[in-house]
Amino acid sequence: MTLHLNLEKLFASLPTLFNKGYVFLFFTALLIVFFILKKYQYLLRSLLPFKYIEKSITEDLLKQLYHITSGQKITDFRMLSRALKIPERKILKVFESMTQNGLIYISDGHITLTKTGKNYALSIIRIHRLWEKYLSEKTGFDKSLWHDLAEAKEHQLSKEETEALYEELGRPRFDPHGDPIPTALGEMISEMGTSIVGIPKGTVAKIIHIEDEPKSIYRKIIKEKLHVGAHVKILTSDDHHIIFESEGHSIQLSTIVASNIQVVLLNSQEAYEEGKVRLSSLIEGEHATILGISSECRGANRRRLLDLGFIKGTLLTIEYMGPNQNPRAYRLRNTLIALRNDQADFILIEKTQYDRTRIL
Amino acid sequence: MENKDIQDLLDLASELRWEVGENFHDTLVEGIYADAAHIAQKTEIKIGEPNPYNFERKLDQVLTSKKYGFPIMILILSIILWLTIQGANYPSGLLASFFLEFLHPILKTGASQVGLPWWLDGFLIDGVYLALGWVISVMLPPMAIFFPMFTLLEDFGYLPRVAFNLDSLFKKSGAHGKQALTMSMGWGCNAAGVVATRIIDSPRERLIAIITNNFSLCNGRWPTQILIATIFIGALVPDSFSTILASIAVINIALLGIGFTFLSSWMLSKTLLKGEVSTFALELPPYRPPNLWTTLYTSLIDRTLIVLWRAMVFAAPAGAIIWLISNIYVDNLSLANITIDWMDGFGLFFGLNGVILLAYVVAIPANEIVIPTILMLTVAHLNLMGAGDGVMFELESTTETAALLHAGGWTLLTGINLMLFSLLHNPCSTTIYTIYQETKSWKWTAFASIMPVILGFLVTFLVTQIWQLFH
Amino acid sequence: MTELESCDSCALNNSAQLLKLGINVENADYVIALAGNPNTGKSTVFNALTGLKQHTGNWPGKTVTRAEGGYRFKDHKMKLIDLPGTYSLLSTSQDEEIARNFILFGKPDVTIIIVDAARIERNLNLVLQILEITDRAVLCLNLMDEALRHHIDIDERTLGKELGIPVVKCSAIKKQGISELISTVHQVAMRQIICKPYRIKGLSKPAQKMVDKLDKKIRKNYPGLPNSRWIAMRLLDADADIIKALKNGDFINH
Repeated sequence: MTLHLNLEKLFASLPTLFNKGYVFLFFTALLIVFFILKKYQYLLRSLLPFKYIEKSITEDLLKQLYHITSGQKITDFRMLSRALKIPERKILKVFESMTQNGLIYISDGHITLTKTGKNYALSIIRIHRLWEKYLSEKTGFDKSLWHDLAEAKEHQLSKEETEALYEELGRPRFDPHGDPIPTALGEMISEMGTSIVGIPKGTVAKIIHIEDEPKSIYRKIIKEKLHVGAHVKILTSDDHHIIFESEGHSIQLSTIVASNIQVVLLNSQEAYEEGKVRLSSLIEGEHATILGISSECRGANRRRLLDLGFIKGTLLTIEYMGPNQNPRAYRLRNTLIALRNDQADFILIEKTQYDRTRIL
Repeated sequence: MENKDIQDLLDLASELRWEVGENFHDTLVEGIYADAAHIAQKTEIKIGEPNPYNFERKLDQVLTSKKYGFPIMILILSIILWLTIQGANYPSGLLASFFLEFLHPILKTGASQVGLPWWLDGFLIDGVYLALGWVISVMLPPMAIFFPMFTLLEDFGYLPRVAFNLDSLFKKSGAHGKQALTMSMGWGCNAAGVVATRIIDSPRERLIAIITNNFSLCNGRWPTQILIATIFIGALVPDSFSTILASIAVINIALLGIGFTFLSSWMLSKTLLKGEVSTFALELPPYRPPNLWTTLYTSLIDRTLIVLWRAMVFAAPAGAIIWLISNIYVDNLSLANITIDWMDGFGLFFGLNGVILLAYVVAIPANEIVIPTILMLTVAHLNLMGAGDGVMFELESTTETAALLHAGGWTLLTGINLMLFSLLHNPCSTTIYTIYQETKSWKWTAFASIMPVILGFLVTFLVTQIWQLFH
Repeated sequence: MTELESCDSCALNNSAQLLKLGINVENADYVIALAGNPNTGKSTVFNALTGLKQHTGNWPGKTVTRAEGGYRFKDHKMKLIDLPGTYSLLSTSQDEEIARNFILFGKPDVTIIIVDAARIERNLNLVLQILEITDRAVLCLNLMDEALRHHIDIDERTLGKELGIPVVKCSAIKKQGISELISTVHQVAMRQIICKPYRIKGLSKPAQKMVDKLDKKIRKNYPGLPNSRWIAMRLLDADADIIKALKNGDFINH
């Protein structure tokens, strides 16, 4: 009974405690704490006891070293420390144990990966790229989030889990950015492309790789809806900018952004599709033939569009548009199907029976 | 077959998959459609000139037009809601007078003649039976009117057009246009609205629709809103305007519910659900005359009776509990009164009171029994009646109810907060059970049940604090 | 098939698997599945066949509505299961998984495929997929009245010949063609009509070669499997469910 009396008193006193403006102060404070936590969550990691983070630091370092050595650059501690946002002191400590474990060796101030270290690095890259593939095929995460999610996942999956994932995904060879996935034995096929920068005017090519780091540049590229597999035609290029055409849109990128896009020239069997545009550009009264679905449309979304009959060679027309022009109803095979414009962006078409009288 | 053989087979399959390329699925579907086109061409006979779907096109142009699309939609929905609320009044009254006024006394007399002990009689007839009778008489008629009308529109082909019209609106909050339909269904009954989310074939948007369906003010909550709005808000102005003001208040609560649907849909799609797969494709089928009798039959069986049965299963034990807490005494106080006193401080903190909180705890099976429970608990708490504790009732006139609530210490703030809390609280147990059935996930069921209560406490708390700033 | 010699008209359905799928076949002579695209009037056909003798529930462990009912014809009790309406059996949505598993593992005695007569090209996508899995099917050309109103008729003899299964014209809402459908289904169930279903031919040459290669291997491992070619296609498409079923040995019986 005493307990119940005390509680009653407490509840009764609460309203006065939270009177007037205090409540707003309280919520503002809560909000600020939340944003601070969110912003610095990466730094907060290093507050954890060292033994919990040693594995992930080791693996991050290995991956970084692998990329550096394959890119022929000289390595030093400071650079690694900055790249990984880990204090130099801690990196040094990890390097000691990595040397003891035979993952790296240090000579003349240079760090080199041993064979074991290289294989370890490749196994981490394998998980990273497989997970990105998984995210692209089986989940609805936005592609700007894939990299960060895979960055966390690569330290968590065991060897068995990785292989099960590999099987579930149907043993893929490339990740969604076009990078090859190393095999379980640590082999990696290399399909080398050239940067889109510096390709002569008038060339037609196909995008084979889009680098997803740094994120700010990657966001700029995906904003233009460029994707692996898309055809491009260079219109003009100078030292600062490059202008090219892709899927009926003219795109201008600064050289620094464009250098993260890699292309190969089209081979003899692939012809650059001149009139290839996105379905979203079809307007009322126009007819079109579908040329295909962009490789950017994956997983359940792609299968659904195919099942509904959005396949190569299908004739379709736009029947009517919803309020705000979105979604739009298309008629194909005598059926009305409504698609949102961001889906229609994935469907590549060629306009047929160009009807001039209807365009105003 | 040996495991090794299976492994061999799978290895061969993936080897060939590497050769055939990663887009075999495309090849397969293209191949099937090529065959389909070939066969269709051979067998389709066009009789004379093709007859384009002129009527359908014209109808579609009107029903999806910028100018008429929305007004028609709102008109149709208003008619359905009006028919449901008005049309349910009469049969509800009939059922109530049969179960509560006619059958209840007979059962009581019968029980005393048989010689049932008072506690068993009270427990079974005043507790379990009354709760069941109440639930049936208030739930059955509106559902039996609402669902068939909804199904008829669905079969006619109008509902996909509604989804089409509203998709751009729902897309902004990360939801599917078809959520407009499940949301409207929720105005009939949240449990049925949750079942109706099956029409959304995209996993993420379906979860959003399930979790936010509770923000649709369901049939069981409209009477609460109307009663409280009449007593507390309508009373603010002269009698001639009171009905109008009260109606405006109730409509605003319903609109607030829609607002919360959008807000929470948006937040969910940006946070918890951002990893779920999302696909959108909406077939707009040709308009077809619905099959009246089959529709009536199936919507009655599939939707109404199933929901009603679930509600009854949950209402029976609740009736028992309500009776028990009113009739078990500790230190000369009933359990109900002890809990009410205990919860009062907490309730006042949110501008509510102990009676309301306890009513919402025990009336979890159905929103319909909240008001009767509140009235019963208020009377018991004020010690106005000695006998007949644990018997739910409704008063003949709004004035009497108002007098009782004022005697229970209710103010305008209590009224407003009760209206808000009635919109923003946990779904009824029937809906919770249905959410579990539809998601098969305790995690999402728990989330969908707890999130609205937290939101409800937050909102009533803020309203109370702001109120105190000015008083 | 050895059963054919021992009993010409015995039910061929897999009652053990059906029980797992939540269907009790004890009181039925034949199990009939009803498949088709959404919006083809499937439930109208279902109602026309069963009348009020039906009940609805869910597929076990799933949130997909299942209707089942029955009717009698010539002293045989037919059990009718309404499968979810789908556009295809190739994706991995819950609906498609249920429809596919029912036909693949439950092995209904007859599968009725409902088709919207005015849109057969689009509907044939599903029909051709079903015919890869089962060889006991009847095509029901529903909504015939609507098609004729829009000046479209179907040459059902040619269609039947092309697909290798019986084709029945229907207008379920007007109860037209239902009795013919019932007797045709019965004939297929009794094996008085033997279907020779169409098999997909339109694949590209290299893809066709891969399918054949894998198909050969499957037939070597599982002699007598009627849908080995379809399984080969699913394996090439890395269908995780089919791979799992292979590992579990779900294809061994029958």
